[in-house]
Amino acid sequence: MSFPILSLLILTPIIGALTLSLSSSTQLKNKTIFLSGLWITTGEFLLSLLLPIFYDKSKNGYQFIEFHTWFDKFDINYYVGVDGVSIPLILLTTFLVPICLLCSINSIQNRAKEFVIYFLLLESFIIGVFVSIDLVIFYVFFEAVLIPMFLIIGIWGGENRLYATFKFFLYTLAGSVLMLLAIIYIISKVKSGNIELISDFTFDQQIELVLFLCFFASFAVKVPMFPFHTWLPDAHVQAPTSGSVILAGVLLKLGAYGFIRLSLPFFEYASIYFQPMIFALSCVAIVYTSIVALRQLDMKKMIAYSSVAHMGFVTIGIFTLTQDGINGAYFQMISHGIVSAALFLIVGVVYERHHTRMISDYSGVTNVMPKYSFFFMIFMLSSVGLPGTSGFVGEFLVIMSTISVSVYLTFFTAIGVILGASYMLLLYKNINFGDIKSDIKQLADLTNIEIFYFSCLAFLTMLLGIYPKLLFEMINKSISLSII
Amino acid sequence: MVNLYQFIPEIFILSLILITLCFGLFNKDRAVSLNTLGFILLSILLLNYGKEFYSSTQISLNTINLFVLSKIILSIGSIVFILLLKRPLKNENLYRYEYVLFLLFAILGSFVLISSNNFLTAFIGLELQSLSLYLMAAFNTKNLSSNEAGIKYFSLGALSSGFLLFGISMIYYDTGSFNIQYLDNFTAISEIGLSLVLISLFFKVSAAPFHIWTPDVYEGSPTISTLFFATLPKFASLIFLFRVYQELNIFEIKSLNYIFQMVCAISLLVGVYGAITQKVIKRLLAFSSINHIGFMLLGIMSYQFMSEGTLFFYLIIYLITTFGIFAVLLNLRTVDGEFTKISQLNGLRFTSNSKSISMLVFFFSLAGIPPFAGFFAKFFILSASINDGFILLSIIAVLSSVIAAFYYLTIIKNMFFNKSEIELLDDNNKTGKVIFISSGLIITLFFIYPDPLINLVDNLFK
Repeated sequence: MSFPILSLLILTPIIGALTLSLSSSTQLKNKTIFLSGLWITTGEFLLSLLLPIFYDKSKNGYQFIEFHTWFDKFDINYYVGVDGVSIPLILLTTFLVPICLLCSINSIQNRAKEFVIYFLLLESFIIGVFVSIDLVIFYVFFEAVLIPMFLIIGIWGGENRLYATFKFFLYTLAGSVLMLLAIIYIISKVKSGNIELISDFTFDQQIELVLFLCFFASFAVKVPMFPFHTWLPDAHVQAPTSGSVILAGVLLKLGAYGFIRLSLPFFEYASIYFQPMIFALSCVAIVYTSIVALRQLDMKKMIAYSSVAHMGFVTIGIFTLTQDGINGAYFQMISHGIVSAALFLIVGVVYERHHTRMISDYSGVTNVMPKYSFFFMIFMLSSVGLPGTSGFVGEFLVIMSTISVSVYLTFFTAIGVILGASYMLLLYKNINFGDIKSDIKQLADLTNIEIFYFSCLAFLTMLLGIYPKLLFEMINKSISLSII
Repeated sequence: MVNLYQFIPEIFILSLILITLCFGLFNKDRAVSLNTLGFILLSILLLNYGKEFYSSTQISLNTINLFVLSKIILSIGSIVFILLLKRPLKNENLYRYEYVLFLLFAILGSFVLISSNNFLTAFIGLELQSLSLYLMAAFNTKNLSSNEAGIKYFSLGALSSGFLLFGISMIYYDTGSFNIQYLDNFTAISEIGLSLVLISLFFKVSAAPFHIWTPDVYEGSPTISTLFFATLPKFASLIFLFRVYQELNIFEIKSLNYIFQMVCAISLLVGVYGAITQKVIKRLLAFSSINHIGFMLLGIMSYQFMSEGTLFFYLIIYLITTFGIFAVLLNLRTVDGEFTKISQLNGLRFTSNSKSISMLVFFFSLAGIPPFAGFFAKFFILSASINDGFILLSIIAVLSSVIAAFYYLTIIKNMFFNKSEIELLDDNNKTGKVIFISSGLIITLFFIYPDPLINLVDNLFK
């Protein structure tokens, strides 16, 4: 197909950001800026809808391929294309960014123009990661994501934002540079950055183990996996609501995407070799962070820890190296993208009204905000993994696939599900039920805008929960190719 | 019969010096603008006929390319520098045409240094360059710290020149020749001599552990002189160091190679650890330049794989970034004089769009974050070094750049997140503005359209 849809997807937000930055900021009202941002991102979303429509599910390999030489001398090319694994994530991104802008119209008062610009840049970089099939431009986009995110947390974050944003940036960078070295080594061996070519190449076993660890350092920080997860609660707590939404919704998926797209096909031997380590780390992540989440006083922190636990399911699923496992992990990624984004929005709603995130400051919210509690319930149950919601399918498939590996693994993941249910229910109970506190009484229920985006998210959760085939049709073929 | 063709660039600069000397007596403004014109002419001359100057000599084509490219870069750099220097010097009541003369002598020295095939000529070039630098450091005679910087630079620089001479004489004693190109069959004596020469050169490019002068001199000198120290002479010395490495096949001499690797690793680490706690921006830039020298040394060592292209590319990007950063700094002043502290950058975002965003670009580029050009510069150096088997050094290099990211981020934090405490005056210097905006654009747009720069470097090495 000659129509350069992927480049267009990358460029639209950048061009939007450029036009916005060139407009004079004094004349524009905040609302106009947000509205123009919304128009751009909605257009981007509609554009990205063309991908699943025109994507041919029966074919193998990448589609909508664009190829331009970039650095002749080093054989590095601008080489983009999508397959079933990337399309749902692109859709998730383009779907969440307008919601991020929508939810911050009221809360972001100062420097609105910059805010919208950073979000647009962020969107185009993230899409760049998902579409690139050359290692170097993958890395370029993967790193570039840090810049707007650093600024978003640093400028509009909470009190301790500097600590959080520095920690976020440096953790991720430290992981990534090791991957950079590995990428350079791979390119020097294979003489090409093309992902497909590298997948066919077999490295020495010892070297492959080292390379795997280098990639692992980067992705494990991004996912985040157990010992590298400490940046996440800080970043989430300090980030503005929209920042948390995009962080939990999409940025965490970059790591898991990297595992599926790069680590598995490149390092077949090492993936099997390191299977036990990753299982162990993921089990610790699931059980330990769930217990930590139980004891949190801050809502955002609790959801952040629950994110780590849920991403533990994803890594376990991926490294079972079975079709079901990876399918389930992928489903869990998308589901977690929607649900955790929604949960952060839920926290954002009350935070905007009551200016506190402490669980103990809330009780009996149901009585004042019934619509709010309704949506909260849907997302809470989805996060718990109730059948009929999207959370169930992913967790179920992952747990099922672990049986073929080890029963102990199944045991620990199942414990994670129980713990997950307990902290989410506890959170819901503490906030929504009980006596009405006096200062809770004046809280207003959801506005129409909020109802709008919550219904969109709730609809998606239910749809995926009831008809998961929608997603599986898309990913099955591509995933079956990445399994060894 | 000596062929004078190959000296045309040097003769050109020498005549520029004489003309400036005469002209400056009557009209200093015109003397300065005359030099801009002169260097533009020189760049055009070099771009078009550069290779023909050396065609009658026996120098290899590769080396000729090296000469021409580095001289082009030097003369373009001088144009930018001369355009920049007027306003900052005027602000400090230092605007005299002698400053340009020192500059010209330093550039002449750099030219001689780059194209010298003989250790004695190199020594003359290096001394000519260094002596002008000492004067430029101490140019603000009424300022104590400027004097201090000049004296420190001079006394330490003289020491390093002593090392250089001693080293050269040891080599001469051993081999009976000063010529760089024909030296081989080293014995222990000339190895020691060479190591002394290397130490002196490391001092000139401020590689650790020979870097102690750098932060003090950077801080004390007038900012415009600091810009000069950080860019052109360092570039010239580095090119000479590269030539020494290449011509003498230092990678084959185990002990010297070991020194090289150690200096590279120490520079990478000292650069970042020194910079972390700095409060004064020029000191921070001094340490950060040490870190970058580490990268450049890595580039020098791994030239076998991807030729000189990677090193040159890194140098060009580094020069552009440094010019940009200093153009911004020179454009800012506090109410009570020049601004020095990093904390004085607080809230720059609110006072000036163009400056803060350019600084953001420069510092992310220095930190090596894509999509800015600095990333690609580091990427190519690392590619070369990994291909040449310097795995450990590459790991040190990338880890040091993570730590470096910390203090670059601190500056960005000050500009973007903090509220301003002191009012910064905008100099509104149009040339400065043009320079930092255009260098910011080059750094950013390189990602989209890398061909021109890559081709410039590539074509000259074909």
